[in-house]
Amino acid sequence: MPAPHEGSIVEIVQDGIVLHQLDLERTEVQTIEIEYNGHVNTVQIDENGICILRADCPDQTCVSMGYLKENGLPIVCLPNRLVIQYGSENSEVDAVAR
Amino acid sequence: MKRIFGLFMIGVMLVSMTACAKNSAGDLPGHTTISIDKKEESIELFAMDTYMTISAYGNQAKCALQAAETRIRQLERLWSVTDPESELYMLNHSGGVPVEVDRVTAKAVSFALAIADRTGGALDPTIYPVLTSWGFTTSSYQIPSQDELDTLLRLIGYEKVLLEGHEVTLPDGVQMDLGSVAKGYTADIVTSILKDHGITSALIDLGGNIQTVGYKPDGSKWRVGIKDAYGDGNIGVLMVADCAVVSSGGYERYFIGDDEQTYWHIIDPSTGKPADSGLVSATVVCKEGRLGDALSTALFVMGLQDAETHWRENSDFEMILMTQDNELYITEGLEADFALNQSHEGMPVHVLRR
Repeated sequence: MPAPHEGSIVEIVQDGIVLHQLDLERTEVQTIEIEYNGHVNTVQIDENGICILRADCPDQTCVSMGYLKENGLPIVCLPNRLVIQYGSENSEVDAVAR
Repeated sequence: MKRIFGLFMIGVMLVSMTACAKNSAGDLPGHTTISIDKKEESIELFAMDTYMTISAYGNQAKCALQAAETRIRQLERLWSVTDPESELYMLNHSGGVPVEVDRVTAKAVSFALAIADRTGGALDPTIYPVLTSWGFTTSSYQIPSQDELDTLLRLIGYEKVLLEGHEVTLPDGVQMDLGSVAKGYTADIVTSILKDHGITSALIDLGGNIQTVGYKPDGSKWRVGIKDAYGDGNIGVLMVADCAVVSSGGYERYFIGDDEQTYWHIIDPSTGKPADSGLVSATVVCKEGRLGDALSTALFVMGLQDAETHWRENSDFEMILMTQDNELYITEGLEADFALNQSHEGMPVHVLRR
């Protein structure tokens, strides 16, 4: 099991702007529909964490990434410029080489 | 008194709103300078078909990042293979006629050719027509026939490129792309821009190409995760300062064919097919991003044995290789700064020593 990191703040960022900042340990189970130029990503927050449940992008890479992991890799939907990531002070690493 | 204070405040605002100058404004009379060395500024952008973030610390961080973003956009316009207005597009549609390019394009081409030569063609910037035949350039994936590959392979070969000063000549049918060096080269340019603005601490992440300027503001090394090619987690953490960390792996871009086989975008120039050397990822740590970018691709194609030989014959890089059997090979220069994550405790780690 990966060592748990401290803190549970996540950010939903679109086009460089932080739309939402949530504390996974405190926030309630919810679904957030994020619209961008007529496109929609559906973000889900539940007991397992945060993920992109549905997206209308052609590649579906963001959906296949599943829940945000502690390794610091953000969930990215390139076509809709959407990024889900941990708040900077909470990751185990500063960056991931990939 | 109120009016003087008001004017003073306007003065302070005007000075801080002035367009970036390389020299700092200096102390205002009666104004205490607060050290803002630890204040983080950052930018995020989508460019070169990927997601980029840059964080910088220091007085001129904001200014430096703005300059960096501008330059990234310029380079993107010069090097995008798909943009009809780019220099690469012009080159690839020149029909054998020499094309005059920007100084930075000439230097990038020159660099790509030098590494192609150094790696015996394991890296080859003229692989573009083959990449297209697999559908990697359009995402309409397909498996080209052997006949098609044989025909295309006749057009591949970095030695076919003629570079004289700022003039590049590609024989008709030969096409280049800078995909294997662009992000690394850009990271080097961004590093220069940041340093020109007096930045001594910064973290550059161009689609996973990591480049660190100096140490973190608190003097510690940057913590860079090394992605597990087979999973979502990281194998471990590498502590680095003032260098580039670049990974290449099949997991970055691939498709699964009708035959249930996995085909990835790192092509072996000698076969025209996805490199099948026994490695699933190659990570290079070195001074310059351009070298890290180019070498990580080349080493992935070469495989463990040839990569080890290349390391022994050169002294300008360190590497971490992950094999298809889930084992790690790390060069001794990185041993002290690398730690396996708990999640990968049992993974065999072999240290290559000189």
